[in-house]
Amino acid sequence: MSNKDSHQLERVPSGVKGLDVVLRGGFFGGGLYIIEGPPGVGKTILGNQICFNQAAAGRKVLYVTLIAETVGRMLLNIRSLTFFNESEVGDGIVYVSGFSALKTKGLNGLLHLLRAEVASRKATTLVVDGFASASDHAQSHEELKLFVQQLQTQADAADCTVFLLSNPSEHAPSSEETMVDGILNLSTTIHELRSSRELCVRKLRGSSYLQGVHSYNINQDGVTVYPRLETLVSNNDVDGDLHRVSSGNSRLDEMLGGGLPARSSTMLIGPSGTGKTTLGLQFLSLSSADEPGLLLGFYETSARIYAKAKALCPALTEQLDAGHVQILWQAPTDVFLDELAERMLREIKHRKVKRLLIDGLGGFKKALRARPIEPFFSALVHELRANGVTTICTAEVMEIVGPTITVPLQGLSDVTDNHIVLRFVESGASLYRILSILKVRDSAFDSDLRGLTFSPSGVELAEDSLSAKAILPRSWQQPEPTVTQNKK
Amino acid sequence: MEKRSKTVPARKTILIVDDEFGILEVLESILDDAGFRVISAGNGQDALACLQETVPDLVIVDFMMPLLDGAGVIKAMREKESLRAIPVILASALPEKTISERCSGYQVFLRKPFKAERLMEEISRLLAVPASNA
Repeated sequence: MSNKDSHQLERVPSGVKGLDVVLRGGFFGGGLYIIEGPPGVGKTILGNQICFNQAAAGRKVLYVTLIAETVGRMLLNIRSLTFFNESEVGDGIVYVSGFSALKTKGLNGLLHLLRAEVASRKATTLVVDGFASASDHAQSHEELKLFVQQLQTQADAADCTVFLLSNPSEHAPSSEETMVDGILNLSTTIHELRSSRELCVRKLRGSSYLQGVHSYNINQDGVTVYPRLETLVSNNDVDGDLHRVSSGNSRLDEMLGGGLPARSSTMLIGPSGTGKTTLGLQFLSLSSADEPGLLLGFYETSARIYAKAKALCPALTEQLDAGHVQILWQAPTDVFLDELAERMLREIKHRKVKRLLIDGLGGFKKALRARPIEPFFSALVHELRANGVTTICTAEVMEIVGPTITVPLQGLSDVTDNHIVLRFVESGASLYRILSILKVRDSAFDSDLRGLTFSPSGVELAEDSLSAKAILPRSWQQPEPTVTQNKK
Repeated sequence: MEKRSKTVPARKTILIVDDEFGILEVLESILDDAGFRVISAGNGQDALACLQETVPDLVIVDFMMPLLDGAGVIKAMREKESLRAIPVILASALPEKTISERCSGYQVFLRKPFKAERLMEEISRLLAVPASNA
């Protein structure tokens, strides 16, 4: 038993990025935890990652396998991962097989082996990989429960944190799960041909944790967990910031009543080609060293954005060249919503970004899988506001021409503060663009429609609504366009 | 494999020491098929117990094992007159550079996972040449 106060549980961080956030600080020393999931979800990688992180912190680790895969093969498989440190193997981390002891002497033999090895190596972390084998060797549920109970007592007495890696589908009885200190469930779900990895803490004694499902991925760095953004929302309520931020277009600023409300979120809604991105680029062109900007784009690479800025918004190229505006490009395929949010918020906090353009909300839609957008986006908007960011998002709609606009993502209109609609209008043999403001939260605004044209310096708005009235078909001349919610 | 077994004197005894049951079983089968008498142990302590009863012609020992590791087995063998000359093949998933800093007294190192053909080549070589000259 350690000299530490046994009435105070000591946190043992896993060192796995994102996991300790979900666990609100990590596991507890001397605890017994089950990491469960079907084959292929990354239990062995996670187990090894925890081991190498513990060894890097100077702790002794014992990894006992009960699985068919040999240690040699397993090490070959994880050797390329960045957490792998060969100098720790055989010294900080010792790999042994417990299968012989289990096969010849049963659970008691395995228990004896674990106790002897933990004691002789002074291990403070023990991973038992393939715990389902132990379950299979149990003569009865009672024997398995007794084994888990004794293992727990041993772990506590030795101040050794134990992780049992298990496949729940192989042993339906889960009586041992009622006895352990925590259970992490790993799973993979398929949605529209794409798979998502999900982690859920089912139990954690002694602490609260971020509930529900969190996404994770496995790459060269091993497992990275992305806590669900909704569970991370900070409690700091932002006071009403009354100052205005220029949109980058003086006419639009006038219509908005002096610019965009600081820390607000604005949706630019309209079909492709109406000038949404150009307006967004104009907004970013006012970035500076004191007010850095960020562009999150899904469809156009950094090079294409730069070329577009050069052609349609030359002022932005100066800010890009000066490094006051950064481009965060993310292909819309196979991206996790929370991973994307984490990357973006990390960049925003790091550079103290104040102007953000999200070009193409459809990119978020592709990352949604079956998840509703509203809670996520509500949390995102809250975090952006809390970080002092004024945000413009472009949202493409399907209707090319006509009086009806369908908001592409249901629920977003309630979450965002300001709505600006850009439309095409056919009149005679010509195609025109018009802009109108539908909503500015807690503020009066000019609801007149304005003609919109492109000039070498970007989007130009007509001085008043006369030109728009002249080009609008008689049947369209309503105070506001009809906006409907997309049910998809 | 059969062809090679004809080049090795029959009924030589080999002790295999490995905590991984699967590896132990496979090696037992390969060496048995090659005409050797095989005894096995699942950890270093069991291996020393075997060595008290039988003096094999060659030992194949894993490095990382419970209760007593490969380095401990070799050390014990080299301290005992009757076992000192027995050639040892040390196997590990770690590279030899790492192993050589922690263990000495073996004749051949094989990095896991290794091919059966390579093992048989080394066995043939070691059993044909006195260990002291290896």
